[in-house]
Amino acid sequence: MKRICYLFCLIPLFIAGNALKANAAIQEVQETQQSDESGDIVLKPVPKSENGVFKKNEPIVYRLQITNNTNAYKEGKISYLLTTDEGKKIRLDSVRLAIRGNSSKEILVKLLPKPTGFYRLNFMVNTPDYDDTVRKVFGVDPQEIRSKLHKPADFDAFWKQSREQLEKVAPRYRVLERKDLSTDKKKVYAVEMHSFGNLLIRGWLVIPRDGKKFPVHYRVPGYVVTLNPNMDNDDFIAFDINVRGNGNSKDVINIGTDNYCLVNVESKDKYIYRGVYMDCIRGLDFLYDHENLGIDTSKIFVEGGSQGGALALITAALDKRVKLLTMQVPLYADIHDNMNISASYDKQVFPFKVFRRYNDIHPGFTWDKFFSTFDYYDPQNFAPMVKCPVLMGIGLLDQFCPPRCSMALFNHIGSNSKEYVCVPNSTHEVNLDYFMFQNLWLREKFRIP
Amino acid sequence: MKKPRLSALTVCLLLLFVLPYKTFAGFPIGKYRDIVVPSFSYYSQSAHYDVNGNFIKGTPGVNFTSFSANLYVGYGISRRLDLIVSVPYLYQVNNLGNGKSIISQGAGDMVAGLSYNLVNFKYVRFLSVQVSGVVPLYTASSSTSALGLGDKGAEVKLMYCGALPSFIADKGYFNAEVAYRRYFNFQGPDQVSFLGTVGYPISWHNQVSLDVTVFRSFSPNTTFNINYNAERDYAFVKPQLNFGHQFSRRFSMFLGGYYVPYGINTGLGYGGSVVAIFKL
Repeated sequence: MKRICYLFCLIPLFIAGNALKANAAIQEVQETQQSDESGDIVLKPVPKSENGVFKKNEPIVYRLQITNNTNAYKEGKISYLLTTDEGKKIRLDSVRLAIRGNSSKEILVKLLPKPTGFYRLNFMVNTPDYDDTVRKVFGVDPQEIRSKLHKPADFDAFWKQSREQLEKVAPRYRVLERKDLSTDKKKVYAVEMHSFGNLLIRGWLVIPRDGKKFPVHYRVPGYVVTLNPNMDNDDFIAFDINVRGNGNSKDVINIGTDNYCLVNVESKDKYIYRGVYMDCIRGLDFLYDHENLGIDTSKIFVEGGSQGGALALITAALDKRVKLLTMQVPLYADIHDNMNISASYDKQVFPFKVFRRYNDIHPGFTWDKFFSTFDYYDPQNFAPMVKCPVLMGIGLLDQFCPPRCSMALFNHIGSNSKEYVCVPNSTHEVNLDYFMFQNLWLREKFRIP
Repeated sequence: MKKPRLSALTVCLLLLFVLPYKTFAGFPIGKYRDIVVPSFSYYSQSAHYDVNGNFIKGTPGVNFTSFSANLYVGYGISRRLDLIVSVPYLYQVNNLGNGKSIISQGAGDMVAGLSYNLVNFKYVRFLSVQVSGVVPLYTASSSTSALGLGDKGAEVKLMYCGALPSFIADKGYFNAEVAYRRYFNFQGPDQVSFLGTVGYPISWHNQVSLDVTVFRSFSPNTTFNINYNAERDYAFVKPQLNFGHQFSRRFSMFLGGYYVPYGINTGLGYGGSVVAIFKL
């Protein structure tokens, strides 16, 4: 009897011990990824709301951990600066800092509730021999952010005409099995097709061997990013397309990142993204024309990050053959507001770094001219046309795709099944948790094991 | 213009979702998804342990054999909440010696309840609680039946499961459950059990898993019964080794065998099970 009792006591203790150790390991990985622990004095602000999003009637609370990594006693001040998304100062406050060597302390920073929007919150430490700033962003009821659509009157006609032009181009598909890249679990195919303007584009198709029919993970690329065969997905056929000027689709257009988004930016008809958007649709045509390869056309989800996020959304908007949309940090969203927000940055970043440079060196070019083209390409103008379920991930510290712009886009999405995930410590990317959730989300929506 | 990355770590973790599990309760089933698990078990005993845990060799011709089929159905009501129902059907032969035997068959104790995922640790590990009711699907005279105790009951179970920690193995999963069950009878019993499972893939579609059950049932009624379904005060430790094969993404099977190396006031036996898992 005693032996049984001992077992009951020991086993849960053993499990609890291991569970704590395992979860601590997970936590440690996350912390290492997300925070810079170097420096004499390290500030680590943690929002009370895990995802950095608060409600407009609740106070904004951060737990600020201060660690003195030196052996010396330090005196100085801790400050915070709260500004709007456009950099307008709301509040600056500070407290005296006195901290012993090799020790930590924690203070609670509590701000009054704020209206809907995103806010920048910089925490600063200043001592006679050390200064540092930690940048944070938080959101308040971002699902209530509203923005103006700058949709040209002939927007729908323009894209209808673009699709008609695409349909006139014979795809002339080529599918070549690449045994050198295939494995015992997956077959890899290099695929080619002709797209808008009769340009040749290429992609990769990876098909698991252990099954007859699979849902499809259709991935569209980031900005001048090369997509290679996606060998990571065991339950989906992975189709990765390199739109014109990306990866192995550079036969005609081969332009670096500095100028890619500027190609024919002064003409809505010739702007590079017209062909790029149509390349994504041509990729869907490819999938539908190759059901014989085991493609389950009733289960196609399109995914992308950054420019890929924008392309994924536009593909889902223009073509109802897409059944699910997942996107991360969608580029170019609400381009008018992106311009306003980026104007407040100390140092310009993509995409307005490129657009402003172009504007500076082309005297005849005006912002009105820019928008007269770009309003046909702003993903936000496509958002109301998206009717399938959507999952979006954003990084709150993202300056390329400011969270306010991404959420404005999100709130315009026409689907009644949409979810977003905020990653508080990420810049222009999301984190592992997002992808874990995305995986579950896809299985839930497609009802696959 | 950095592209969001799916790290190698993610890929490893996604593999967690590919493996079929030998156990189900702690893992959320997933919203709107179903799991159907028919199983068949065989158990045989001839010897037993007395109330002091001493081994008592069986009398020739006296033994107990049980064949049971069980249907477990789970449905994901939401991302955290699952409905589970488990219905057993038993066929038991109790050989009393001298050619005499008692055969009993019929549905046993149905268990139905809700499982709620309390915490998910970054979608890698899950802590869940399950509350169930136990309802006998047979009629028992004077609270005795070969098919069970004949009383209604309730159970609460805490489950912790997920990927094995990297300091133990780079793949595989575990499940740990601690349960308390109470039958609504003045004799009880109160039952406390622990189930630990570790599963490890040995190839792309095959895995082995080990279950260890530690079970204790408390009751003032310490009468020994060779049929464990009808006993009230007893305890045992049961390790079980399983082999699992994934036939498709929706269908897997497990074969398992077990032995009872230690017990108190209960039978010493061995058995096996065949479990089919359908994910719909």
